[in-house]
Order: sequence, then structure tokens, then C-alpha cells
Amino acid sequence: MKRIVLIQFIFLACMVTLAGQSPEERYAQAGELYGSGDYSGAASLYRKLWEEGYRSRDLLYNAGNAFFKSGDNASAILFYERAKLLAPADEDIDYNLQIARSRITDRIESVPQLFFVRWFDFLALLTSTNTWAVAALVMFLVALVLALLFLIKARARGRLLSFWLAIAALLFSFLMILLALRNNNLVNHNKKAVITCSIVTGRSAPGETGNELFVLHSGTTVTVEQELGAFREVRLPDGNKGWIRSDCMEKI
Amino acid sequence: MVFLLACLAAAAQEVTLTVDAPESAVAGERFRIIYTINSTDGQFTRPKFDPSFSVQGPQQSTNRNVQWINGDMKVVSSTTLIYYVTAGTPGTYTIPAAQFETKRVTVSSQEKQIVIYDGDSSQQATGRQQGQTSAAGDAPASGSEVSMRILLSDRDVYAGQPITGTLKLYTRINLSGIQELKLPDFKGFLKEDIETPPLRSLDNEVIDGVQYGTGVIQRFVLYPQIAGEIRIEPAEMTALVQERTTAARDPFFNDPFFDSFFSSVSTVPRKITTQPLTVRVRPLPEPRPADFHGAVGSFTIESSVSATDAKLNDAVTLTVTLKGSGNLNLAGEPVISFPQGIEKYDPKVTVRSSGISAGSKVFEYLLIPRNTGTFEIPPVSYSVFDPGQEKYVTLRTGGFTLNVTGTPGQEEGAAPVYIPGEDVKYIGQDIRFIRNGNGRLTTLSSPLVASLHYWLWFALALFIALLVLVVRKQQIRRNADKAGMRNRRAAKNARKRLSRATALLKSGKKEEVNAEVARALWGYLGDKLRIDQSDLTREKCYTALRERKADEEMITELDRILTATEYSQYAPVSEVESPAALCERAALLIGKLDNVLD
Repeated sequence: MKRIVLIQFIFLACMVTLAGQSPEERYAQAGELYGSGDYSGAASLYRKLWEEGYRSRDLLYNAGNAFFKSGDNASAILFYERAKLLAPADEDIDYNLQIARSRITDRIESVPQLFFVRWFDFLALLTSTNTWAVAALVMFLVALVLALLFLIKARARGRLLSFWLAIAALLFSFLMILLALRNNNLVNHNKKAVITCSIVTGRSAPGETGNELFVLHSGTTVTVEQELGAFREVRLPDGNKGWIRSDCMEKI
Repeated sequence: MVFLLACLAAAAQEVTLTVDAPESAVAGERFRIIYTINSTDGQFTRPKFDPSFSVQGPQQSTNRNVQWINGDMKVVSSTTLIYYVTAGTPGTYTIPAAQFETKRVTVSSQEKQIVIYDGDSSQQATGRQQGQTSAAGDAPASGSEVSMRILLSDRDVYAGQPITGTLKLYTRINLSGIQELKLPDFKGFLKEDIETPPLRSLDNEVIDGVQYGTGVIQRFVLYPQIAGEIRIEPAEMTALVQERTTAARDPFFNDPFFDSFFSSVSTVPRKITTQPLTVRVRPLPEPRPADFHGAVGSFTIESSVSATDAKLNDAVTLTVTLKGSGNLNLAGEPVISFPQGIEKYDPKVTVRSSGISAGSKVFEYLLIPRNTGTFEIPPVSYSVFDPGQEKYVTLRTGGFTLNVTGTPGQEEGAAPVYIPGEDVKYIGQDIRFIRNGNGRLTTLSSPLVASLHYWLWFALALFIALLVLVVRKQQIRRNADKAGMRNRRAAKNARKRLSRATALLKSGKKEEVNAEVARALWGYLGDKLRIDQSDLTREKCYTALRERKADEEMITELDRILTATEYSQYAPVSEVESPAALCERAALLIGKLDNVLD
């Protein structure tokens, strides 16, 4: 009895110190736990940081590693996918994600995206949405100044140059707005989700009555098309659609 | 058939009196009535036989048996009385009860009915039937001494409904054996033999007044496979008939008395066949339920699982037992839709059939859970056709819940990957290590594109730019208006100045006239050429005039007048042109320039 109380006390104390630590300290602590082999402890610390709203490429990458090592491939894939949104060109993330994907049950032939969509997404993810937004605003101001120069300085030299520069700046500004929007969509409103249930059946209708269409196992990435009650219509990488319970997946 | 009243000798004290008599007999033939009493001391009273019977006997025998069992003496005694009776006239008679009286009790035997046939008439009656196909199939082909029949339990059945068949031998003469039994191929049926003990002795049976020795040769079960009127071809057999042949002998012995001594018995093979039969097989009614798998009969079903809590990858057995009577052999396995994640193997099927009537069929499904979680094994629904009710009956079992626990991915995780033909051998595959470099964490910031403020900045910038543009344009227009005014009024102003110069000339202020003319010209040029007065030089004016395509002559004239006005300001009046002429020339020049510059 005394021992239980003691354990509870220690646990409580841990919780208090945990709450009192700065996020950087907890991040470092999670790294130490990972190094010492306590993968699930590290994973839960990383996950808590993520839930509190802290973001960094390395945080998500490390979280993915910790989940992978603790055997939760689905969560590992989820965090690698999230990390990829912050660092699309990171080779380590790609490598680990590929390994985690090779350990899941489902093998689905995915329809590859069009090359320009891929490039555009890559470009959009190179920096954050707000960086793109600010850059777009600055570029817009530049375009306005150039346009004013063109319109006001009637006989100034390089009037034509200022005209073309204004057009170019305006186009760049527009492109940057699109990139900012795309980045926001990818990072904050991503429709992709990872199946977390060990096994789940995709049905033709929301509810338990629809015909069974396919069976998915944990770790498979799907695209959420719409939601209805506790069910989501998902699109598989090969293009098939079906309804799956919402609690069996987690959005990226 | 021999009717036997069971006499159990279990109770030694209880006195029983049993009677054994045939049910039927032929008039004029002797038959036996046997009374058995399990006691020796008592008085037996013979029954009052019908007066038409001629009774001989009784032949009495007493049997006493003393046994010592575990020190106890046990005396079993019995008395048997046999009466030989010959009935004279056909009819149905009753043999009244006999009585046996001991010191303590009086017991009675049962009354017996006996039918006495007329031997000749029964012969004639069966003779008429000869050649006809017996519909009932119960009677042998009368008239023949040896015959064979296929007896079917039912001749109007549903497809799949089992029929019990018996191949039976009827004989009125002695047989020494049978051989070369050839059963038909039972086309349209699935035949299953029932183990039949080899025929050793014949039973007595009286059919239509004729006593036959009968014996079952073979029992079998038929399962009709196709619907329709199905014909069963005759079975064939060779019976070995014992025939008494009279050998050629001395006439001295030609006496019936010696016949029995000297006639020899020879075995003659005689081919016998059965009558062909037809069975009406009705098809199973449509529509058939989806879960009907060919079982016809009356059944019950039950199911069980070996475990409800299982480890991952550990086998669990689901046993479905179908019990009852019917075509168990042909009953297909139930279709069970197992949940995904459970590996199912084809069921092991065992049929335990205890004869024709009842048995069980066991389907054992081997299930191996390949995923963890809770799985519902659905209830088994199995439809059978009940020929008695003439409809399909759906049997159901309960469902089960299977809890699977364990750690997934233990076996498949560690498979090493070898890439052949490379200098570097990759013996394993693992993720790359975490990064502990910098712990800089950024908090989640709200996206600018989602806020209205961000877009208002664009609007604001655009608004400011437009404002700047509008203000600047207005300014330009205003300036343009001022210049235009000056342009339009340039000639007028110049003329005004020139007329003032003329007025000054009249008032005699000659020095000021030239200055006034110079001002008129400079003012005109400044307004007309839109050059500020401060910037005005002769060269600028000339260049501008040349651009406006003014004649060199005019420019020369302008130059002369301007030179003259300047010169006159510093030289004595007499040396220069008269101011009046200068005024005139200036007015003339302005007129000409106005034509060119407008």
C-alpha cells in the first residue's frame, strides 16, 4: 500500500517536473530517452510536444523514429509525413518513411501525381506559408511602386523597363500567394490520413451496413474526401473510394 | 414369422406361461403349439382347442438346472409342452389361453389368433398374379419357388432424401447357397451399402398364405440425385437349389418308402432376378435458400469454439455439428463469412453415421488470427430441406466473440535484406538515427493567408497607390491647364505689351520702349514654348523653334530684334533703330510665329 502511494507520488512528481520543463528541455530529454532505448517514452514525449503545438522538422522526424522503434509503424508514418511537410527535401525523412512503409501490410499501387503538381507542392513546402505570404505582400508593393513609376514619370528614362518589371513583380506576387495558400492547405488542412487501426473495413456507405469493399491495415495512407458522422469517405492511393470509421485514422 | 413372447428368466419366483404358435398355417398341414412354463411343480390345464383341430400330444419335457453361484444354490426349472395340431378347414381361429396352477398362483398364457389358409386356393390366387408387376413389392413373385425382391422404404421422395433398400430372398424350397449376386447400377442414385451380416439362416414368413423362407441379402441406402421417374434395373443372382433327383435304381426298391433313402440330393444353380422398380423423385422446391447446401432430412445444428481468447497466430477451432437423419454424406459445408484478419482453412469434415436413421457430420474450421483485436465470428445459418414438412428449415447457431491479443510484426520484422553482387553487403535495414542538433522549436503560428488582415494589407497598398496616382494626375492636369492658358494668351499678352510700348513711345520714354519690347518677346516665347522665364535663353528658344519647324528667317529676325533691344539698352538711342520700327517689327514677328506655333 505504502509502495503504491510512493509510486503514485513519484509519478505525480514526474508529471509536475515534466510540466515545469521548457519545451526545449523536454525535447532534449526525449532525445536522451531515445538514445537509452526507451522508445515509447521518447515517442510519448515527442507526441506531447506536437500536441502542444510545437513544430520543427527535427521534432517530427525524431517522433517518427521513436514510434517506429516502439513498433507503432502507423504513427511513425504519420509523423514522417508531417515532417515531410516541413522539410520536403530532407533525405533522411524520405529514407525512414520508405522503410516504415515497407513494414506495413497493405501494398497499394499508387497513381503518381502529375509532375507539375509535385513540383508546385515541393516549391510550396520549401518555406512556411507565412514566409510565402509576406514575400507575396512585399512583391506586391514592389509591383505597385513600379507601376506608379510607369504611370507618373511620364518622360522618365526606362519607363518601359519599369512597366515590365511591374508586370513581373505582380506575377511573382500572385505566384507567391498561390504557394502560400498551397502550403497552408498542405500543412494545416491536409486531407491525407494514416490508418491507425490494426485492421479496418472500407464499406460502400457510412455505417456498419454498407457492402464491404476493401480491407485496410494500419499504416496505409489515404485521402479523406468527406466526413459524415463518425465516418469518413477515403480515397485509396490507387483511386478506390470507401467509407471508414473516423476513429481508425489520424489526419496528417 | 415366429412370434416370440419374451420370457426373461430373471425372476425365478415369478411363474410365467408363454405360448409359441404360428400366425398362419395351411389347412391339412401340421403345426406346433409350444407352451413353456418356468416351473415344474404345478398343474397345467390345456386350452380348449377348436373342435376342427386334430391335436396330438402333448409331448412334455422337464428341465431342471441347479447352479451354485457364490455359495447360493439357484434352481432353474422349466417345463415344455408341445402340441401337434392339424387344422382341417380354413378360417381364423383363436387358441384360448392355457392355465398353469401352482400352490400360490394361477397364470394364464395369451390368447393367440391363427389363420388357416386353404392350401389349394392360395396357390390359385397367387397363380393369377403371376406375370403382373406387383405394385407393393412386398410379396415375392408368387408361383416361383425362389425369388428375390428389392424393398424400398419409400418410392415417392424428394431429391436427396435417403431411401433404405433391402434386397430380400424368398424361397419355398431348400437352398444350399447363393452366388453371383449382381446388383443393378442404380443410375440416378448415390448408393451406400449398409453392412449386412451374411445370410446364414432363413426366417419364416407367410405371405398370402404361403410360407416362405426369407433372408436379407443386402441392405443399402439410396440418395436420389436427379428428379423424375427413375427406374431401378433388376438385380440378378444365382441361387443354388437343392433338388431331389431319383437315381435309376432297381425296381425292387421302387417303393416310396425307399425314396427318401435312395434318392440323392443335387445342387442346381437357378438364375433369379428382381422386378424392375420405378421411384418418383421430386425436385426440391425453388427458390432454394442461399444457405442451402444440399442437406435433405431433419437436422439440428450446433457450434462451438475451442477458445474465445486467443493469441496472435495461434489456431482456434470452430466446430459446427450437423445432427439428425438424412443425407448427411451429401450435406455441404456451411458458408461462414469470417471477419477479415482471420485466416481460415478448409474445414475438416467427419461423418459419424450410426446406421441409416441418424448420425452427425462435424465441420472443423481451423482459424488462425493474423491481427489483434476483437473479432465477431458470425452465427452459422444453415438451411436444410425437411421432406416431412416439405419445406426448407433454416438452422442457426450462436455467434462467438474472439479476443486476439499479442504483439504484431514479431516474425516478419527482422528479415535481413541482401543485395547480391555488391562490394558492400547490406545485412540489415534500419531507420536513420534521430537528430539532436538544435532543439529550436517553433510554435504553431496561425497562417496569414487565413486571416482577413493579410488581404486587407493588399487592399491598403493598392488603395494608397491609386491615391498617389490620382493626386499626381490631378497635379499634372492642373499644370497642363496653366501652360495651356499661357499658350493661348501668349500672343494677346505680347500685343498688350507692344501696345504699351507704343504708348510709351508716344509719351517719349524711348529707353523703356525697348525693354518693353524685349519683355513682350521673351514672355511670348516662354508661354508659347512652355519654358520657364528663368530658364529662357536664346539658344533654348532657337532649338525649340527649330523643333517646331519655324523658318530660319524668323529665327534670324527674332535674333536681330532681341539683339537690338539689348543693344539699345546700353547704346545711345541715335545709333540704333527707331523704337517705333522695332515695335512694328516685333509685332510682325509675333504674328508670323503665332501662325507657325499654333
